[in-house]
Amino acid sequence: MKSSLSDLEKRVLAVLQKGFPITLTPYQDMARKIGIETAELLDVLKRWRDDGKLRRIGAVVSHVKVGLGAGAMVVWQVESERVEEVGTMLAGFPQVSHAYERPASDAWPYNLYTMVHGADAAEVDETVAAMSRACGVDKYRQLQTLKELKKAPPTYIKGV
Amino acid sequence: MDHLDKQILSALQNDFPLSERPYEVIAAKVGADVDEVFRRVQLLVGEGAIRRLGASLDSRKLGYSSTLAAVRVQESQIDVASQVISDYPEVTHSYLRDNEFNIWFTLIATDTGAIAGILEAIRLKLGLGPDDVLNLPVQKLFKLDARFKAAD
Repeated sequence: MKSSLSDLEKRVLAVLQKGFPITLTPYQDMARKIGIETAELLDVLKRWRDDGKLRRIGAVVSHVKVGLGAGAMVVWQVESERVEEVGTMLAGFPQVSHAYERPASDAWPYNLYTMVHGADAAEVDETVAAMSRACGVDKYRQLQTLKELKKAPPTYIKGV
Repeated sequence: MDHLDKQILSALQNDFPLSERPYEVIAAKVGADVDEVFRRVQLLVGEGAIRRLGASLDSRKLGYSSTLAAVRVQESQIDVASQVISDYPEVTHSYLRDNEFNIWFTLIATDTGAIAGILEAIRLKLGLGPDDVLNLPVQKLFKLDARFKAAD
């Protein structure tokens, strides 16, 4: 599906993707950059919030600084008829931030993906073991992150 | 980080107000003075507790496509591979992980064809076989909630 955004929406996106300025009036400052009124920007954002394009506005907090220093991606090999049930069950763990079904293949037979967080590695291991017991799936792999290579917000509009 | 810092962090994470003067709304919510709240936000940004303030968008609903991908590269190739992959502006996150598929990354592009094209270009640049690249788009979303409570 190609992007069906209006010119105004594209201009908003080009400024929005750079993150909010840390000022007392971030919307006013972004609106000025886009070249529109503050009220117009707020209208676009409210419309996006209502139709689901905008998930959330807020701070991205460092896991480490708030005491959640450890995290792992855990991939699960689940029989296709149990994906719905197991996915819902794993998503119910408060330590899980993301839970997705993704396609399995011969090279990589895992179809459920979860991001699990905890204060330290031992706590993450404990949670993962509890998740495995709860859903009765023992074919899983825990992938430790050795290094973050890149972390950047999405570039929707290039060259701005 | 004291109690007020945690209250501010929580308010900032959960629902940054869509209002001309958002910090006044937050100040009223946490029962503090707006200047004090904003000063603390600046400090939290400065010390890295807040990585970014911004909008989290649904790339699919905006008309874009995204995926999670992984490549299986030789130990000696990791530095070159991570550079090749990170150079694409479409790559938002990339990680080195302790697995035979050792570099994992997320991609956002205009459509699935563009994603396939980038993955194929990466594969060729790194001299990998077809089985050394995984393209794992979301088929079903069960949960997406990257908000964290500040530990007490």
